[in-house]
Amino acid sequence: MTDAMSTSAQAAPWVLLIMAISATYLWRGMGAVIAARIDPESEFLQWIACVAYGLLAGLISRIIFLPVGLLDNTELVDRLGATVFGFVLFVIFKRNIAVGTLSAAGLFMLLVWLRTQGILSA
Amino acid sequence: MAQRGHTISTLVHSDVNIDVWKLFRQGFREGFSLPAFMVLASMIGYGALVHSAGMNIFIAIVSTIGIWGLPGQVAFVEYIILGAPVASLLLAVSLANMRFLPMSLSLVPLFRGSPSGWRWRYLWVQVMSVNTWVGLLRKVPELSPDERGPYYAGFSSVCLMTGTVGTTLGFLMAETLPFFITVTLVFINPIYFAFVFAAMRVRACLIAFAAGAITGPLFYLLTPEWSLPICGIVAGTAGFYADRLLRRFA
Repeated sequence: MTDAMSTSAQAAPWVLLIMAISATYLWRGMGAVIAARIDPESEFLQWIACVAYGLLAGLISRIIFLPVGLLDNTELVDRLGATVFGFVLFVIFKRNIAVGTLSAAGLFMLLVWLRTQGILSA
Repeated sequence: MAQRGHTISTLVHSDVNIDVWKLFRQGFREGFSLPAFMVLASMIGYGALVHSAGMNIFIAIVSTIGIWGLPGQVAFVEYIILGAPVASLLLAVSLANMRFLPMSLSLVPLFRGSPSGWRWRYLWVQVMSVNTWVGLLRKVPELSPDERGPYYAGFSSVCLMTGTVGTTLGFLMAETLPFFITVTLVFINPIYFAFVFAAMRVRACLIAFAAGAITGPLFYLLTPEWSLPICGIVAGTAGFYADRLLRRFA
């Protein structure tokens, strides 16, 4: 058995994975249990939906401004520029999600490619 | 409390004359466009990440289906690469996926009033992702409680399928994908959700979303581990009360 002090490199990946899946299901299942006990029309649920949106917005914004992992190897100006570009097209095309997403991703890919080619300086 | 909930569910009459397969197909079809394509793209990025961590393809696929939330999946792989202590890996995965609590709290009551939909609630929360959650929330005005279960099952099935295909493809193509493609596949997921939420028309949620986008990085600088729940509660409360205040003046 894996104890809390051992490192994840020593533990079997399958054991870690099952623990990670359980840790995630804890939130999902907890929500289902609590939801059975509250009034579906209550203001509390409207507030909870707002909390979910605020939390997801914070997560997305953090990934764009302060990424960890692979995205950390890209420039802030590329991530931000692509997002703003996508948002402008999103508004022009009457809040079209596909247009916004694909134009932002397209410009981002182009900018990263230009930097790897040395055409844009890093 | 529980008794009160029971009264509410029996007050809503259930409609038995619904075509389950037609609704399942409708959910499947509506999921099989932008949502499923985005899951495919971002899971290709994830599959490539698992490959780079030196883990096998079965771990990649089972972690996609089982964790079913990209931030938690990425935390899982990155902490293994770092060789971090097991306790900190579990804390990171758990905190990264904490959003599932408010999400499932607002999803599950949508199946109230439908005996069949309600029975499956512990499965509905497992297949819930930001995609499937928004996918059902958008259809709430159009679908009766009885119609939501089959529609949601169809929508979630197609997302799980493309997620599995994407993970597999990403894992197999990991060595052939150049950096600018892999990194774009990682970038596309948060960008897509930003536009999904910006397209919402509920004012309280939009204000909460804007407040969260502004304060998220600031809370992260203050406390990386706890920034998400704090940001959610602060921005969500701001949106909730700002909407009421605006309604009073309107």
